[in-house]
Amino acid sequence: MQVARVRQLGNPRNIEFALLLLVAGLYAFELAQIQLATVLVLRTELVLYWAPPVLLAFVMHLILRLRASEADWLILPIGLFLNTLGISVIYRLDIIKPALTSSGHAPDLFAQKQVIYTAIAMAIAAAVILLVKSHLSLRKYIYVSMVAGVLLLLLPLLPVIGKTVSGARLWVGIGSFSFQPGELAKIALTIFFAGYLVSRRESLAVVGRKFAGIRIPQARELGPIVTIWLASLAVLVLQRDLGTSLLYFAIFLVLIYVATGRPFYVVVGALMFVTGALIASRLMSYVGGRVDSWLDPLNEATYNAIGGSYQLVQGLFGLAHGGLFGTGLGGGLPQLVPLAESDFIISSLGEELGLVGLFAIFALYLLLIARAVRISVQHNDDFSKLLAIGFGFVIALQFFIVVGGVLRVLPLTGLTTPLLAAGGSSLIANWIIIALLLRISDSVPRLGVVTE
Amino acid sequence: MSDLAMFIVRVGFLLVLWIFLFAIISIIRADLFSSRVLSRVAERNAPTVLSSPVPAITRATAEVSTAGPQATLATAITAVPTRLSVIDGPLLGKELALDRRELTIGRAPNSDLVIDDEFASSAHARLTNGGDGWVITDLNSTNGTFVDGTRIGTPLVVNPGMQIRVGKTVFELRA
Repeated sequence: MQVARVRQLGNPRNIEFALLLLVAGLYAFELAQIQLATVLVLRTELVLYWAPPVLLAFVMHLILRLRASEADWLILPIGLFLNTLGISVIYRLDIIKPALTSSGHAPDLFAQKQVIYTAIAMAIAAAVILLVKSHLSLRKYIYVSMVAGVLLLLLPLLPVIGKTVSGARLWVGIGSFSFQPGELAKIALTIFFAGYLVSRRESLAVVGRKFAGIRIPQARELGPIVTIWLASLAVLVLQRDLGTSLLYFAIFLVLIYVATGRPFYVVVGALMFVTGALIASRLMSYVGGRVDSWLDPLNEATYNAIGGSYQLVQGLFGLAHGGLFGTGLGGGLPQLVPLAESDFIISSLGEELGLVGLFAIFALYLLLIARAVRISVQHNDDFSKLLAIGFGFVIALQFFIVVGGVLRVLPLTGLTTPLLAAGGSSLIANWIIIALLLRISDSVPRLGVVTE
Repeated sequence: MSDLAMFIVRVGFLLVLWIFLFAIISIIRADLFSSRVLSRVAERNAPTVLSSPVPAITRATAEVSTAGPQATLATAITAVPTRLSVIDGPLLGKELALDRRELTIGRAPNSDLVIDDEFASSAHARLTNGGDGWVITDLNSTNGTFVDGTRIGTPLVVNPGMQIRVGKTVFELRA
């Protein structure tokens, strides 16, 4: 085997190191700016928020150097940046909360929890890189992951541990500890979809009859898509969550399209989902309410209704207040938007960093997703290709569904902004996705390298 | 802090944010165009980078040019190749039967193996069989022909399993 490994970039791990230093600097900048703008002095607690994510990122960097030296070198810095920016915004919302709320209780603080969750999530990601030696071994577990995915989805429906938060039954809670198993289910289901479609792609891509310029496959080939459709409608009805339901179905559509190259599946799948969602919006008041808020948020009745468009409109006002360059971190009033630290973190960022800052954040998400697509394109085997693109689109679709909701492109749904928003389950799931992407990218066949 | 200082901090943050973004974009840009550089660098570094198998090939070539019989012996030991298989690149999976004395490789549509890629010249390389086994000759192509990772200068005897790369396409001879 002859390997001539020459790269113009030098050692890419050194570039990753430099970018991580830059991100660590940016994070310190954010925290310092927030303190100066809100409490006017620098407090030493800054270090407690700054150090854990940064140190763990360098630990992950070290692990990559030792165990996955060919892994993609941009994913980790971008992931760290988005995660730490999220902590900064959550900290910024915490710091202005009064010591006691008007009702005399201590306020809900999220930043410390978010730092702890980040540390746990990054430690799990490091463990995944160490334990999963090759992503190809995941192919042995595709039916295990199907069962695991379905069980995780059903977990919140169980009587005692299941919890309903703001209408959606997505949580399990034991005591004060709560978790959203659906976040992990999306990883398990992506692995299952990828493995399943690799073995079925030949028959799914079989050319059927041609009608109106689109090739229509035989009826029995529609089996999988109908099954997944019914499953996602079940999520919609039983768990009352439009975003999760849309996410699972869309990941399946993306993967079936990539596996077969047939636009037919996407067209039919999208029509099926829209039909299902329209029927749901007639039958279920909460879906209908979301659609009304989306179409006419400034209507007085919708604005004042409970669960109406108040939150959406406040988010839009926040974005308008930020304008082109924003009010600066700590300079705006993002606390006026309900759930500013989780679902509406994008409107908090838009208010304080402005359109210019928001565009940079969008571009970074785009680059993160583009890296996943690139990993997929570079791999030669179908399973690696589908897995990489599947994980990339878990992040892409989630981002699109949430940000689309906040910016009134889509009806608002309850997904978390990947890596930014407050929430432990989502952070853990997204860091596992990052770890798996890094692992997949490590075995990419290199250009110009001849192997046997 | 004064308003002016806060303004500078505010604008400064956005500036650093965009510097971070452009740092990443410039790395991706350098990475995208590194494959072309790779060929040139590989060529320049060829003698130092390459390990044991290649001097053996060079020796084999020398034998072809100077002492025919030994080379014949060498090829007789290995099986006689009957087909050419593309093992990487856009044509992956394509096979050609080695049923003639000469095969042309290049971008020209009338080549035996048409490689439609911007790194291939129209008449890029030629495979000939003069009775002593198949020999690959680079026809002065712009980006070169690579055998097992080394850019070839002189015609070279190709044994089954040796990987030949033209542009993005990698192929080998098989028995």
